[in-house]
Amino acid sequence: MAYQLYRNTTLGNSLQESLDELIQITPQLALQVLLQFDKAINTALANRVRNRVNFKGSLNTYRFCDNVWTFVLNDVEFREVTDLVKVDKVKIVACDGKNTGNTAE
Amino acid sequence: MASSANSNPVPKLYRSVIEDVINEVRELFLDEGVDEQVLMELKTLWENKLMQSKAVEGFHTEEQAALQAAAQQQAQQSQQVTQQTQSQQVLLPQQQQAPQQQVIVQDPKILQHMSATGMSAAATAATLALPTGVSPYQQLITSQGNVSQNVYLKTADGQILQVVRAANGAQYIIQPQQQMVLQQQVLPQMQPGGVQAPVIQQVLTPLQGGLPQQTGVIIQPQQIVLTGNKVQQNTQVMQMAGQAGQMQQVQQVQQVQQAQGGAAQGAPQQQQQPQAQGGAAPGAPQQQQAQQMTQPQPPMMLQVDGAGDTSSDEDEEEEEEEYDEDEDEDKDKDGGEDGQVEEEPLNSEDDVSDEEDQELFDTENVVVCQYDKIHRSKNKWKFHLKDGIMNLNGRDYVFSKAVGDAEW
Repeated sequence: MAYQLYRNTTLGNSLQESLDELIQITPQLALQVLLQFDKAINTALANRVRNRVNFKGSLNTYRFCDNVWTFVLNDVEFREVTDLVKVDKVKIVACDGKNTGNTAE
Repeated sequence: MASSANSNPVPKLYRSVIEDVINEVRELFLDEGVDEQVLMELKTLWENKLMQSKAVEGFHTEEQAALQAAAQQQAQQSQQVTQQTQSQQVLLPQQQQAPQQQVIVQDPKILQHMSATGMSAAATAATLALPTGVSPYQQLITSQGNVSQNVYLKTADGQILQVVRAANGAQYIIQPQQQMVLQQQVLPQMQPGGVQAPVIQQVLTPLQGGLPQQTGVIIQPQQIVLTGNKVQQNTQVMQMAGQAGQMQQVQQVQQVQQAQGGAAQGAPQQQQQPQAQGGAAPGAPQQQQAQQMTQPQPPMMLQVDGAGDTSSDEDEEEEEEEYDEDEDEDKDKDGGEDGQVEEEPLNSEDDVSDEEDQELFDTENVVVCQYDKIHRSKNKWKFHLKDGIMNLNGRDYVFSKAVGDAEW
């Protein structure tokens, strides 16, 4: 089973909202759609994306629980070949990347 | 930006994910006995939300952009055939689409339903400038009295709303069923020969959880007030206010999603108020009344602290035992603020978290990914991440690998 990690993204949230809005879609069906979404996004990220990002900043908090790392960084610069993005605060949620095993969150 | 160095991979990625999901899910829908149309609606809703969020640049593929352009051209041509004034009406909402971006891409859909008859569904819908989730559904029905033609709007939920056009040219919407709730600003009056821009913007907000019975929602010419639980930001609806010299009804209902109970109570009040008003009244008093309408409503904002807090109740209870009754009266007058002030210095030192307020508001920049390796030396941390989606400053980015350093 793929990580449900990506449901809280623009793509995932807009899907969830759309599923909520359509009353013809039963909750059971909506769940199936979301599970399918999980698979699709995990596959797409693994196979279709090929770029690299560097970042640096200061670590405000860190948490490791249930094999999930959660960090909060401050004053971070995200650097890609093309451009640079600076943010005051960012939260990073990371699931275990070794052979996506568990159903996660 | 004459030339972009690297094409943004995000829109293509999202498109491919959407396509994959929709295709995979089609079978599930059929098994469940759900119509294919619902699947298409899901896809449309999904794409529209992505566009609205502005998190992705240039989300629309070139194909669809060309489709829109072609559809708009067809619309302009065919409407010139019917009536001149109506063509102006169509053009104006389209022109206004550029700065606003909230009046969205319903034009191709609207125009597909066009017919040659006078005020067709397309013209109606064009003037209504339908937002997401509503498609015009034209159905010619023998008229009722002075109504020339009935036009129906079919919303995302499949509810059928009847748009009725009375003799005086005003358009209003009859909602025969309870579940759809509309927020709308109506600019009436298409004066023939006049260069008016009766652009009507609707914000259709499908109702979650159902308001209690609101049958036969309002129909008065030039006034349509309906409450919505899901708030599309009122800034969208307020674009109309800029047009001077025209009759405008601006009635806003500001509600927050969580205030469903308050909304239910507020709704019947609002319905009664416009019904009490007369027909054609000048815009100013109505705007005032609109403002007044918002005031008596209970505040719908999410309140996190202050007098309404539960913790203050506990403090007040403890204090009543310790202090005299006079002080209790003072507390009642001040809303318990004195009590809290005395307690806070004692308890406030316990709290370290500063972040709660920050976390609640605005886009928190989030990165969702997987970790390959997390390393720490003393207070120096190194992150090796992969397969991530980032939302930074409101925009979406993706990466296959990310490496980072931070000091704690």
